[in-house]
Amino acid sequence: MYSLLPLLSLVVPFFIGILHLFTYPFWFLESFFKKIAKTALLFGTSLTLLLVLSMVPYILAGEVLEVPQLSLCADLTNIAGIVSVALIFFLTSIYNIKAEKGGRLKPSIYNFFLLLFLCCMLGLLLSRDLFGIYLFVELTVGVSVILVAHAPGKLSTEAAFKYLIITAISAIFVLLGTLIVFMLTGTSNISAVIANGDVLIENPHLLMLVVACFIIGLGADIGLIPFHGWLPDVFPASTPTINGFFCAEPIALILTLYTLIHPFYTIYPSDIIIVLVVGVGLVSMIFGALLAYPQKDFMRMIAYCSIDEFGHIVFALGLLTSMSFIAGQYYLVNSALMKTGMILSLGSVFISTGTRNMDSLGGLFGKMNKTALSYIICALSLTGVPPLSGFYAKWLLYNTAYDFLLHLGGIFTAVSALILLVCISMISFIFLLRSFHRIFMGQPTENLKKVNKVHLTMWLPTIILAATAILVGLQPNILLSLIGTA
Amino acid sequence: MEIIVLGSLVISVVATALACFTRNTRQTVRFLSVQAATIGFVELMYCLINLLVGLHFEALIDFFATFAEWFSCAIVIPLIIYWGMIKTENVTDKPVISIRKATILVVAIAGSYIILWIGRLFSLPVKLDVLPVSMLMFSLSVFLMATRRDPLKILVGLNMAENALYPLLAESPISLVPVMLALMIFVNIVGVFVIIEAYREYGTLSITEWRWTS
Repeated sequence: MYSLLPLLSLVVPFFIGILHLFTYPFWFLESFFKKIAKTALLFGTSLTLLLVLSMVPYILAGEVLEVPQLSLCADLTNIAGIVSVALIFFLTSIYNIKAEKGGRLKPSIYNFFLLLFLCCMLGLLLSRDLFGIYLFVELTVGVSVILVAHAPGKLSTEAAFKYLIITAISAIFVLLGTLIVFMLTGTSNISAVIANGDVLIENPHLLMLVVACFIIGLGADIGLIPFHGWLPDVFPASTPTINGFFCAEPIALILTLYTLIHPFYTIYPSDIIIVLVVGVGLVSMIFGALLAYPQKDFMRMIAYCSIDEFGHIVFALGLLTSMSFIAGQYYLVNSALMKTGMILSLGSVFISTGTRNMDSLGGLFGKMNKTALSYIICALSLTGVPPLSGFYAKWLLYNTAYDFLLHLGGIFTAVSALILLVCISMISFIFLLRSFHRIFMGQPTENLKKVNKVHLTMWLPTIILAATAILVGLQPNILLSLIGTA
Repeated sequence: MEIIVLGSLVISVVATALACFTRNTRQTVRFLSVQAATIGFVELMYCLINLLVGLHFEALIDFFATFAEWFSCAIVIPLIIYWGMIKTENVTDKPVISIRKATILVVAIAGSYIILWIGRLFSLPVKLDVLPVSMLMFSLSVFLMATRRDPLKILVGLNMAENALYPLLAESPISLVPVMLALMIFVNIVGVFVIIEAYREYGTLSITEWRWTS
């Protein structure tokens, strides 16, 4: 069905961002704009969320909303991601009201880049054109680097540079893959590429090169091992608000990776493609969990924990079956929402105490009870504790992996894989529970006794996310109804 | 492959290889400019000839798009990095490995790609016969980035890697060219902005020292 809603959901944040930029040359408006900047950002993100939500009834009715001229498409394969991205931006912009303390960018420029970032995320999810995806990937690189560099202090510049180099090289890989496909098939529209698949089947080595380019390119942007070098530096270096916004990035990038890989598997169903994607996912989840365990800096711990979570998602999606797509997307959306809750809670801790070192923290539960509560609910959900939303995500993932491996390698392989997955989840459970204990439990030191209570706008988004974990945990169909297969 | 295309590709590969051994940032930026200018030159000339022979609107648009692409890669982006150098320092340094080792590695990379090219030449589709050369240039650019401590030289390497895809990029839809160029320029401005800010914070352009002080 032809609809302008997908296009509007891209244009609206971009246009509001441009309006912010127009205030920049008018110096006499600066003091006025400073007062309304955060509300204006909230307006931009809430309007986008409303637009995105207005697509849901059509999609639930089985419609596919398309803008064929621009190869934009919203359907059951991406609507859950689109809604989650808009929701994360909306909640984080509420958090931004009190948490954002200023940095290198002026408020108008900061808002412009944030809204442009939202536009990039939605663009990646909506686009069904290889060149369109490349353009959004390249734009995401530039915008996210500048948002990292926004944070005051030395660390952010070093992290931003590392981030720029790794992700810019990765964007070149995406471009290389895109160009090879375009030169072979003469089209960049994904549906048309599938229709012209014969040319690619004639050149299987080039097809595998394209798949490898997409895995390297988007794997580095996502932060999968071995392309993860930037991630543990970027999380501690960025402001808590930016980290909150960044939680939406993996939703867009991982689903884009799937959008790019799946058509080539449809054309040429080679096991090597599954091995490549699942292998990267498996390595990421093992090393992510093991490296998160010894961290003292809670943002570094969350960074490695994110790598572990990305590994789980890529592992599930990489099995390339209909069931694995549902499991992977459910896991992806849940993980992004829960991680946002955790990061915003930890951001409140950092803003209140000025430290990220868990050894110097403790006993904050009394002063930050709502933050602590939302942190532990989100952490438990992330590790798959029932009856929270993460339990169903893990259950779906294990079920899919077991079924797949049972057919492939027999019961021994399937059970071994399950044991491995459960062990990795146990490691996550242990270090996240330990982090809660180190930050919030025990007796506070003299310095921490003076910590102020967290403002309403900073705990409200985290409580909403924690409530989502409980609600979706009790009624998983709320999220499952938004997920369908290609 | 036509001899003129091969010639221009060889010159750009040589410029990329030589950039791995430059001493200061200014020289590296010059090599970036030379690499981009030669790699896009043939395409630009083709478009110019098409324009002169055909004299139709489509050829005019083609020419302007190619010229904009060539101009931004060979002039605008080097100038952005040059501006970054003026705002910071023209650092004189050597690759982190010795010149001898660097030479051996560059020759090894080039040799392996030439062997690959000869081996794969007949199995690659004609449209993609420049792919091995592009990948050779890309590898040399990554080598340049990996062996330097100066972030501006690393940024030059990044642009050289992007330019390496130019022969393939020439086939991309014309409507995408302005957006792609704007993005390339935007990423470079962001890169230079980050480097200038880091230089202000650390007082040095050695990324190793950035790491030590953090």
